[in-house]
Amino acid sequence: MFFENIKEAITSIFSNKMRSLLTMLGIIIGISSVIIITTIGGSIQSTLTATLNSMGGNTVSTYVEARYPENEEDWETWVYPTLEADDYVTQEMIDGLIEAYPDEVKGVAASSYLGSGQVKDVADSDNYANVNLNGVTPEMLEYMKLELYAGRNLTDADNVGQKKVCLIADTMAERYFNGENPIGEKLSVTTSDGNIFDLVVVGVYEYNQALFGKVDTSIPEKDRVTEMMIPIQTSFKLQGTEQTGYEYFNILLTPLADVEQATLDITAYFEEVYADNEDFHIYAYNMQSDMGMINTVINVITLAVSGIAAISLIVGGVGVMNIMLVSITERTREIGVRMALGAKRKTIRQQFVIEAIMLCLIGGTIGILLGIGIGALLGQVAGFVIQNMYSEYANYIIMEVHPSGMAITLSLFFSMLTGVFFGYYPANKAAKMEVIDALRYE
Amino acid sequence: MSEPVIRMEKIVKTYYQGKPNELEILHGIDLVVNQGEFVSIVGESGSGKSTLMNIIGVLDRQTSGNYYLEGQDVNSMTDEVRSAVRNQRIGFVFQNFNLLPRANALKNVMVPLMYGQTRVKTQKERAMEMLAMVGMEERAMHRPNELSGGQKQRVAIARAMINDPAIILADEPTGALDSKTGHMVMDLFHKLHEEQGKTIVLITHSQELAAETQRIVTILDGEIVAERGGEH
Ligand SMILES: Nc1ncnc2c1ncn2[C@@H]1O[C@H](COP(=O)(O)OP(=O)(O)OP(=O)(O)O)[C@@H](O)[C@H]1O
Ligand SMILES: [Mg+2]
Repeated sequence: MFFENIKEAITSIFSNKMRSLLTMLGIIIGISSVIIITTIGGSIQSTLTATLNSMGGNTVSTYVEARYPENEEDWETWVYPTLEADDYVTQEMIDGLIEAYPDEVKGVAASSYLGSGQVKDVADSDNYANVNLNGVTPEMLEYMKLELYAGRNLTDADNVGQKKVCLIADTMAERYFNGENPIGEKLSVTTSDGNIFDLVVVGVYEYNQALFGKVDTSIPEKDRVTEMMIPIQTSFKLQGTEQTGYEYFNILLTPLADVEQATLDITAYFEEVYADNEDFHIYAYNMQSDMGMINTVINVITLAVSGIAAISLIVGGVGVMNIMLVSITERTREIGVRMALGAKRKTIRQQFVIEAIMLCLIGGTIGILLGIGIGALLGQVAGFVIQNMYSEYANYIIMEVHPSGMAITLSLFFSMLTGVFFGYYPANKAAKMEVIDALRYE
Repeated sequence: MSEPVIRMEKIVKTYYQGKPNELEILHGIDLVVNQGEFVSIVGESGSGKSTLMNIIGVLDRQTSGNYYLEGQDVNSMTDEVRSAVRNQRIGFVFQNFNLLPRANALKNVMVPLMYGQTRVKTQKERAMEMLAMVGMEERAMHRPNELSGGQKQRVAIARAMINDPAIILADEPTGALDSKTGHMVMDLFHKLHEEQGKTIVLITHSQELAAETQRIVTILDGEIVAERGGEH
C-alpha cells in the first residue's frame, strides 16, 4: 500500500509537470542555497585545513627571537643583537622539552640550507645530478610528509656522529643510478663554492609533487634540481660553523596533543630555559589559531544562509500546501470514488501526505543536485582565489571541493519534514470528506 | 429462509434537517432483497432512487429507520467498518463509470484489492480474470480516455466484481450508453446473475431493461408505490 501510494504520488506529480516544478521552486531555492554555501564553506575550510596541515598542522612553529625593548624610548638606541652560537636552541633543550611534556611533544623538524651542488660521476663525466643540500633532523621526513622509498631515514646517531650520509629523491636516484640500487653507493658532491663532499646514500624518499611543485619540464631531465638531505649536524660541520643548534624549527606534536596548550607549554618551557639570555628568547606559534577565526566566520555565514533557507523552505512549504489544496479540490471526485471502493480515511490522508512529501523530496533532490553543481563551481573559484591570495604557498595549497554529506542528509530530512508539515492539513481535509459529497462533487 | 442481503425498515432521508428548508426525500422505505435476486428500481426523475441506492451502498446514511446488510446493522458501524463493507461486500457501478483517469484498465480493476485487508499475491491474475470475464482483457493496458463508454462500463463492472461482493449496485449503468451498448452491459449483468448467482440491484429509466429483471420496485416521491414480480 505504501509503495503503491509512492507510485501514485509520482504519477500524479509528473502528470502536472509544470505546476509541480513551480510549486517546488521555493524548496529548490532553499535547499540549493544551503548546499551551495556549505559546499563553498566546507571547501574553503578543508582547503585551508589541508593546506595548513601540509605546512605543519599538528606542529608548533618556533624560532629564536630578539628580546625587543619594552619601553618606547629605548627603541631608538636599540640594535638587533647578533646571534651567538650559544643562543641557538640545542638538541639537548629539545630532549628536555620532550622529557617535560612526553604526551605533547614528539620531536623537532629543523633544517639548515647548505647550498646547491652537483653530484658528479667520476667514471662518466656525462652523468651528473643537480641538488640542493639540506641539513635536517630525522623528523624532517615526517614533518614534510615524505615517504621513504628505499633504505632508511637519517637517525639521531647520524647527527651525533656527524656522519657523511644522505637521502636522495627517487627521481634523482632513478636517473643518476640508471635503475641500479643506490643504497650504500658513495656520491661526490661539488658545491657551488667549490667544496667537494663525499656522501653515502642511506635512503631514497619519494618525490612529492604537492610539496615541491610540479616538475619543470622546460628544464632537461638531467639538469633538474632535487633536494638532498644530510644530517643537520653534518651540515654544520661541513659549513665550518660553530653553530650546533636551531634557529627556525618546527616542533612536532603527538597526534592527541592540543595544539594551543602545547604552544603555551613550549613557550613556558623556553621562557625558563632562556631566562638568563638577555638578548634572545623563543617565540612559538601555531597556525590553528588563524584557522579557528576563519572557521568561525564561515560557520556564521553558513548559519545565516541556513536561516534564509529555512524561510524559503517555509515559503516553499506554503506553496506545496496551496497546490495540494487545489489538487484535492480538483480530485474530489477521485477521492469519492476511492472511498466508495473502500479506501479508509487514514489511507486517503496517507496518500496525500505522501504526495506532498514526494513533491518536497523531489524538489529537495533537485535543489541538492543544483547546489552540488553550483557549489562545486564556486568552491573551485574560492580555492582559486585562496591560491592567488597566498600565491607564495601555491605548491602547498591542496584543493578539496566536495559537498557536505551532513548538509545533504539534513536537506533531505527537512524537505521531508516540510512535506509532512504542510501536506498534513490538505491531506486531512481530503480524508474528512464525506464519501457521498465527494462522489457528487461537480 | 436465510437472512436477506438487504433489509430496510422505515428508511427516511431528510436533507437540511432542522433548517427552515428541511427536505424529506425518502418517507419510510421498507425493502427486502434476498440472496440471488435481480431487482430493478424505477421511478421518475427526482423520486429518490439514487438517494435510496446510496444508502444501500453505504455511501450515505439514513436519517432514521433501520438498515441491515447481510444481517449487520449498518447504522452502528464505525467509519472504518463502513469502508471495509464497501470494499468487500458491495460492488458499485455508476452511471458515469467513475474510473480513475490516470490508471489503465487493469490498475482500475485492482483498486479495490489495494484497499482490501488481504494481501493476495495473485492480484494481477485476479484482475485479468475479471477483465476477461467482461471481455476486456485485450484493453487491460488502456487508460479510460482510450476506451468507449461501453468498454469503460465493462471495466467498471470488472472492478465491482473483483472482491466477490455480496451485492452489485448499479445506478443507471446504461444511462450514458446508446441502447445497443446498453443491452450489451445489461447482458453482462444477466450473466453475473445467472452464472454466478450474484444479487443485483439496478436503477434504470428503461422499462424494457427493467422488464428483464426478476422484480421491479417503483418509487414515487420517496415512497415505494408498486412491486411487480419477485419470489416472496
Ligand atoms: N445532497 C442533497 N442535498 C439536497 N437535496 C438533495 C441532495 N441529493 C439529492 N437531493 C434531492 O433529492 C431528490 C431525489 O434525488 P435523487 O438523486 O435520489 O433522484 P433520482 O430518483 O435518482 O433521480 P434521477 O432519475 O434523475 O437520477 C431530488 O429532489 C434532489 O434534489
Ligand atoms: Mg439518480
